[in-house]
Amino acid sequence: MQASRARPLVSFGGLYFGLAAAFLYLPILLLILFSFNDSRTLVFPLREFTTRWYAELLHSPELLRSLGNSLWVGLLSSLVATLLGTMAAIAIVRFRFRLQGLFMAVSTIPLVIPSVVLGVALLLVFAQFGVPLSLLAVGIGHTILNIPYAMLIVAARLAGFSNHLEEAGMDLGLTYWGTLLRVTLPISAPALLAAFLSSFTTSFDEFAVAFFLVGTEATLPVYLYSQLRFPSRLPLVVALTALVMVTSILIVLGTEWLQRRSLSTRRRSA
Amino acid sequence: MTNRLPALAASLLCGVFLLGCAQRVDQLVVLDWAGYELPEFWAPFADAHPDVTVDYSFFAEDAEAYAKLQTGFEADIVHPCSSWWGLYVENDLVQPIDTAKLSNWSGVHAELAQMGSFDGVQYFIPWDWAYESILVRTDKVAEVPDSWADLWNPQYAGHVALWDSGEANFAMTALSLGIDPWTATPEQSAQVQERLVEIKPNLLTYWVDYAEMAQMISSGDLWLASNAWPDAYGLLLDEGVPVEYIQPIEGRLGWVCGYGIAKGAKDVELAHEFLNALLAPESMAFLTNQYYYGAANADSIPLADPYVIELLSLDDPAILKQTIFYQTLTDAQRQFMTSMWDEVKAAP
Amino acid sequence: MSTRSEALLARPAAQLEVRQRITVLLTPPGLWLLLFFVIPLGVMALFSFRAASFGAQRQVFTLEHYQRFLADTSAQRLLWRSLLIALETSLICVVLAFPLAYFLSFRAGPSRLMLLTILVIPSWTSFLLRILAWKVLLGSSGIFNSLLLSLGWIEEAAPILLFSRGAVIITLVYIWVPFVALPIFAGLERINRHLLEAAEDLGSRPWQIFLEVILPLSLPGVLAGFLSVFIPTVGEYVTPLLVGGVDGIMYGNLVQDQFARALNWPLGSVMSLVMMLVVLVLTFGLGRGVKVTDLAGV
Repeated sequence: MQASRARPLVSFGGLYFGLAAAFLYLPILLLILFSFNDSRTLVFPLREFTTRWYAELLHSPELLRSLGNSLWVGLLSSLVATLLGTMAAIAIVRFRFRLQGLFMAVSTIPLVIPSVVLGVALLLVFAQFGVPLSLLAVGIGHTILNIPYAMLIVAARLAGFSNHLEEAGMDLGLTYWGTLLRVTLPISAPALLAAFLSSFTTSFDEFAVAFFLVGTEATLPVYLYSQLRFPSRLPLVVALTALVMVTSILIVLGTEWLQRRSLSTRRRSA
Repeated sequence: MTNRLPALAASLLCGVFLLGCAQRVDQLVVLDWAGYELPEFWAPFADAHPDVTVDYSFFAEDAEAYAKLQTGFEADIVHPCSSWWGLYVENDLVQPIDTAKLSNWSGVHAELAQMGSFDGVQYFIPWDWAYESILVRTDKVAEVPDSWADLWNPQYAGHVALWDSGEANFAMTALSLGIDPWTATPEQSAQVQERLVEIKPNLLTYWVDYAEMAQMISSGDLWLASNAWPDAYGLLLDEGVPVEYIQPIEGRLGWVCGYGIAKGAKDVELAHEFLNALLAPESMAFLTNQYYYGAANADSIPLADPYVIELLSLDDPAILKQTIFYQTLTDAQRQFMTSMWDEVKAAP
Repeated sequence: MSTRSEALLARPAAQLEVRQRITVLLTPPGLWLLLFFVIPLGVMALFSFRAASFGAQRQVFTLEHYQRFLADTSAQRLLWRSLLIALETSLICVVLAFPLAYFLSFRAGPSRLMLLTILVIPSWTSFLLRILAWKVLLGSSGIFNSLLLSLGWIEEAAPILLFSRGAVIITLVYIWVPFVALPIFAGLERINRHLLEAAEDLGSRPWQIFLEVILPLSLPGVLAGFLSVFIPTVGEYVTPLLVGGVDGIMYGNLVQDQFARALNWPLGSVMSLVMMLVVLVLTFGLGRGVKVTDLAGV
């Protein structure tokens, strides 16, 4: 349907998307701009061009280490949250079971609870069971925050897409679990990606839970938040942010480019 | 002969309780504010103990550090601020510090040292301190204020920001009313609360973090920032923003934070050595130069940047007496101040 | 809905099989939530009856904090206000995010996952920094003021939109739009494109297809998006502090202050339990009317 119709180069939708992206990226562009500005405050007019904040960044091992920690916590906790959320979503959408209402209520409550409460509650429980405060503890906290999102997103995708495809899979001799892996999950891929992205994003910028659960390794938001106590450290933080943003965008664009290339070579060889 | 006895006893104990000796620590856990982990702050310790790793656990509010220790987090060194010290001592979270083991102790200002001493026992060594006063954007105001009470002056309407801290605002307002913040009667406290509600029409906003406050002043939207710290002042001066850091007639407020040895510290001797390294004049001069904070050890003054010393009158011996330092609070006082401030903010 | 599993339920052996599947699917998330959420939640609920956070007083149980909360009219007022702000925010978010998700799902072609990610990336920047940047942009020496001044549209530079209830909502919308676009996108992706073609072949007009096919089918995603903003926004506390100005405080600030400043965990627990209850009743109670349950296909 899409291919069959000639479309104008710039559609309304494309324009709207562009505007939204501009709106979202405006502050980011500003931060990137100021990361090269020779001033410790973010005020116009700009002063001289400098790369000293990036140089200083290299001499802030704690800052870089906390960035690494956050990446790990974000990736692993989002994987776990997406996995568990997906399992819960399949159970809720595809089956009827006792206490289903209760299960749904309980698994959505983490959304309702202010994160600071979850942080303190987990602190108390971990202390009771002798779980040391650490990145692991933070990661567990983040899975709790993210399971409801993952569940909602995947459930929204599964709800309604009829299970004829799954039935077809089973009729073709796949086991139930084989069908889940080969049919259901691939169909849900966009939802899984959405759930993962949403979880990662939450985790990467979360500090209310993290503050109560970090041990001797800090996550980036924990470190940043405390760094903002020192106005003189602001440019470093800005430079780091600019670096993270540019890298992420490059990775995404690069992946897209690779995919397209492999797609076109496959077409050519076909 | 006699002074070899303890050593002998120690080695005997070692033989019996092998585990206890094997646990010769190679790690020191410091529960601290972020930004205090710079190795320049404890270089002498790193030189003496290259095999010991110093690991930092960061907190953003004193309450978090306190809660973590209370629930059993195993730190060796803690760095709370003066208004929390009493609570730590009362709840047995820290242990006495033997100042005789600290070769750098002699230079520490007596006024500050006194604050860390409870019933004659030193539980905290004061380390960093700073003023809290009003930071003024001089080119925007017709008249530079000279009192905490000027924050209420309508000529600054819409360009004043208070710090989002119940304790700070209680102290500041009490001073403006001539009340001692730490011995206020319930009637006086009610008076303070009423007065704070009255300031709301004058406010632009509350400020939350320092970078943000410095930002609002340099952009010109904010003229008077209450309870600002000297580092924001120094930074804005460096950037060429016309600002003044006033000396209110009631006096500047001052905070002081300090290090204590946690009750469960793995190696008390090592902890003492770490504290001594922190107090070294070079370490403390670095603090003053880096963050524009005052140093507890007066011996650091000659080593620090003279510009900073002069700017903040850190070499004036009378300055500590003129500064009104935050006193230790009881649980009830802190809860009152927080709730009071929430009520002020929520007032229609 | 799931006709096959219902049919299977009829036979005892198959019933066993279904039960097995449910068990396998539910045990990991169930255990995880039990260990790391239900138990901590219970600890917190218990805390609301304790006299103090630490020390001997902790073992004393009292209703004092409930009484104090009931007498605290400003807390109740703030809760109401937070609910309204959350409602406005999530409605605006859904309205703004829907066209985004629609464009991505139906018009963006094979690049859609990439474009989706592009929308999310800005949120990997610390929220505090993004707000700081907006303050720079909107402040009196910012780009917009300079622009308006040079165009002669304004006489004097002043912060635009900052420090008000409106600023809180705008900021929250800015933060949440990508998060709302995600579930709506995921929901739209499930719509069978052949269905649309069929409708087109039958002579339906595009807007008819949109209203009668796409919109109803996208509802679960829309609801997921709505809820994933509404529920957490009720407890929001950072945004009101940063851009809300003098009267911008929300209920979440009270909870935050009790937990992270006053260390009055019992009172904080009472406050958060009340909030939780109100939000749950609203979403699940009112939810029945608008079929929130559709959301999970129940």
